[in-house]
Amino acid sequence: MIGGFFYVLATLAVFLFHAQDLVYTSPAVISFTHLFLLGFVMMTIFGAMAQLVPVVLEVGHFGVELFYAIWPLLLIGTLLMVVGFLYSPALLPYGGTVVLISMMIFVGEIFLTIKKVKKLNLVMSSVLISNTFLFFGIIFGLLMALSYAGTISLDISQMLRAHVYSVIGGYIGITIMGLSIVLVPMFTLSHSFSLTPLRISITLMSLGVASVIFSALLNIKVLEYIGYFLSFLALPFYFYIIYIIYKTRPRKENDIYAISMMFAYSAMLVALLLAIVYFLLHKEVFLLASAWVLFFGFFGFMITGHIYKIIPFLVWFERFSPLVGKQKIPMLADMVPYKSSQAQFVFSSIGVVLVTFAILTKSETLLHGGASFLFFGGLAFVRSMLYMINFK
Amino acid sequence: MYTKDELFQAISTVIDPEVGFNLVEMGLIYDASSDDEGNVKVTMTLSTKACPLHQMILQWVKEAVEKLPNVKSVDVEVVWEPEWNITMADDNVKKALGA
Repeated sequence: MIGGFFYVLATLAVFLFHAQDLVYTSPAVISFTHLFLLGFVMMTIFGAMAQLVPVVLEVGHFGVELFYAIWPLLLIGTLLMVVGFLYSPALLPYGGTVVLISMMIFVGEIFLTIKKVKKLNLVMSSVLISNTFLFFGIIFGLLMALSYAGTISLDISQMLRAHVYSVIGGYIGITIMGLSIVLVPMFTLSHSFSLTPLRISITLMSLGVASVIFSALLNIKVLEYIGYFLSFLALPFYFYIIYIIYKTRPRKENDIYAISMMFAYSAMLVALLLAIVYFLLHKEVFLLASAWVLFFGFFGFMITGHIYKIIPFLVWFERFSPLVGKQKIPMLADMVPYKSSQAQFVFSSIGVVLVTFAILTKSETLLHGGASFLFFGGLAFVRSMLYMINFK
Repeated sequence: MYTKDELFQAISTVIDPEVGFNLVEMGLIYDASSDDEGNVKVTMTLSTKACPLHQMILQWVKEAVEKLPNVKSVDVEVVWEPEWNITMADDNVKKALGA
């Protein structure tokens, strides 16, 4: 639920952008990035991991009660960082430290949970790898926060690459790769596909992220390009396995989950194309557009789509499963509000497209129009969440 | 004591909440048999190995069979061979899922 509110706040933060002079180092962009990634993406992933880890790893949490400490700390740390980037850099080390503590507890809990697993399979390995990258990513982030506030002195742009690649490629990317191979087949009822493409994809992505991190730390430029190349190479293998799952899925109905996934994967392809154009033309506007489509288009729809499956399941499990066989109970699909979920999809998708064009054309009008669509999409999303959570 | 059809009939009261059809229509129940003393053995699968309702569904199957008179024990075994696929479901399920 907190993640949902951060989603709406992130849509409001888009109004702070200035299309004419949009650069990735501007406080509004950095603040938005942390608001969206920490407040919405991380908060939701952590919440999902609290529920999914026992399913994926087939062992109980080391200490599930630790999540009650993780969320408030992440909430406070995120707000301090967002305000710090916009108005007061002195707040950044405090926000960064609180986020660091929150994430260290999370990473520690996950590592100790994985320790209980007797034999690691591919999905479990992906959880281990992604959390290792998260560990390093937050260390780099804290060093940057200290430097940003003037406490220590280091090359921020160099550290930025290591930080961004560890967290986005290493943690969020590999987490999505690993978990989607559990969740997408579960919701589409797909079976009997080889995991080899995923194994190749995760290996290439891990090597790519490690390469970029080493290039930043050792200042070896060639490693950076090798890292980018390996990461790009990882994606077709991931797309291939998703394509196979979708092609062979028995469940072909296009519910809100299915269309959200289709939009998310299409957005990822567009983000990839924009990134390639950036590397060819070296115009920052394409990098910004690529990051935007990756964030709101891919991460956003990947998460909101899964929310429409996960929340009904959790509520149903808690509220209705004890009533099975005793009285008529709703099915999971009955718990998803049709109108607000469709409204969320339509408004948010139009918003993503409009803001992408706004970034590319530097149009203030398109930017504000897109942000307005996103905001209403965000409200519809929160309305959907409240409906599902309060379903009786 | 009970025929396979009678046992399948009892198990058909268990609905998969995600798909909205009962386990027999889904083709998830592979076999069911009972001996003269009322010991029932059910062999079934699940639509996905990572099903978070795994234990709960087994319990529902057990409870559905236990409602039959004179049932002494119910053993529910989950197997992954053969792996479930949509061709095992009946036509209503296939149609509803768009398969």
